Amino acid sequence: MESRKTPLYQKHLQNKGRIIDFAGWALPLDYGSMLKEAKQVRLNCGLFDASHMGEIEIKGKGAFKFLQKLTPNDISLIAPGQMQYNLFLNTSGGIIDDFMCYYCDESLLCVVNSSNKDKVVSWLRDNKEQGVELIDKSEETALISIQGPSSSRVIARVFGEKIASLDYMFFTKKEIDHRQVLISRSGYTGEDGFEIYIESKDAPYFWDRLIQEGEGFGLISCGLGSRDILRIEAGYPLYGHEINEETNPYEASLGWAVKSNKDFIAKEEIVGIKNKGLKKIRVGFIMDEKALARQGYGLYLGRNKIGEVCSGTFSPNLNKFIGMAYVLSEYAATGKTIEIQIRKKFYKAKIAKYPFVKINTKSKKEV
Amino acid sequence: MLKFSKSHEWVKEDAAIATIGITDYAQKQLGDIVFIELPQPGAKLQKSEQLGTIESTKTASELYVPLSGEIVEVNSDLVDNPQWINESPYDKGWLVKLKITNHSELNSLMDESTYRELIAKESH
Repeated sequence: MESRKTPLYQKHLQNKGRIIDFAGWALPLDYGSMLKEAKQVRLNCGLFDASHMGEIEIKGKGAFKFLQKLTPNDISLIAPGQMQYNLFLNTSGGIIDDFMCYYCDESLLCVVNSSNKDKVVSWLRDNKEQGVELIDKSEETALISIQGPSSSRVIARVFGEKIASLDYMFFTKKEIDHRQVLISRSGYTGEDGFEIYIESKDAPYFWDRLIQEGEGFGLISCGLGSRDILRIEAGYPLYGHEINEETNPYEASLGWAVKSNKDFIAKEEIVGIKNKGLKKIRVGFIMDEKALARQGYGLYLGRNKIGEVCSGTFSPNLNKFIGMAYVLSEYAATGKTIEIQIRKKFYKAKIAKYPFVKINTKSKKEV
Repeated sequence: MLKFSKSHEWVKEDAAIATIGITDYAQKQLGDIVFIELPQPGAKLQKSEQLGTIESTKTASELYVPLSGEIVEVNSDLVDNPQWINESPYDKGWLVKLKITNHSELNSLMDESTYRELIAKESH
């Protein structure tokens, strides 16, 4: 099956992006060097095409109540114009998807992982109630993300000072250059940044504008490779790696997004899981030696397998090999030396805290 | 003059010593190289045996030795500077030097124009 193309596909080709298939989408892995791109984002700023992400709008009188019932985070903690990290849980408390919820005046916009979009749409349909309307806007919506300490200066030039001074996890809708735009101050790198939702047909226009205005601020285009490195450095989970239908929010260290003072699907199971105590938990690790531990590799203490790697990478910003893993709770203490089997050899590593880098988002507050 | 293998290694022979590396095409396919594992000097290898492992941010790949012989020198600078293989695959990024035991094996390697044809085919 041929990969789907985002509206920025031609831009990636022109820019010599190395195209790979990611969850059915033809996207750039990098534009030559993902290590350089990941460094540039922490130093200045980088531009990402995230148009493969899914956008599902929930409308109607019952929308708010409907999403409250389906998700463990409490949407009443935010107001229109704010966004929130949230989860869809299955009836056993496993994670169907993690997503960003944008609280708009007239609807709730859920930005979900592209690989899970169809699954989430059917889950929402199966649970749909009277007075709720679901609209899949993924096809006509493009997403450009600008990340890094100089992002706000580029945003000021393209979208104006007012948008550039948005607070972290806030967003606004506006018409810019006769085109509809939704911009939030948010991202997936641990740096300051903005996510820009536009109509697919307008994506090349805004991509070019950002590249143009970003030139003096060190802006470069970045691929999926650096996106993955940056999110691992920041300790953020990625669906299919740190979380899936078998992991629950507590072992994934996402318990902060579960608010037990409200009611939601799988609440009983979730409370039960918490009370029973966790068998395994998500931890970070830093390799003592030069070796890249990839997903699925085993963590060992002597001959006993005590865990498994979810994500691993070389961090160009720390100059270290790092990663995240699930490990049996009794071995999760920070600083503990363990071994990871890479091909036929065992390499030493230490359990470490994530984020591995300083988080530089405009405010650390998240609800 | 450089000679090339189908598995994208290059060989430069001088007085029965072959310097071996990976080609520019190979390093571009791999992307950012972050780790390399090579044998110790003294190791005796048969043609097409595994020479080591090269790991990029994208993937881990096996390296093969294009000629039989004994490893006489290893580019130990690559341990701390694996990016040299990306930046300078034919010079600073060389991998090993090998004392050739079977000179006729050199004839089985490709010259540059034949190698160029091979990669032109592979990239289509």
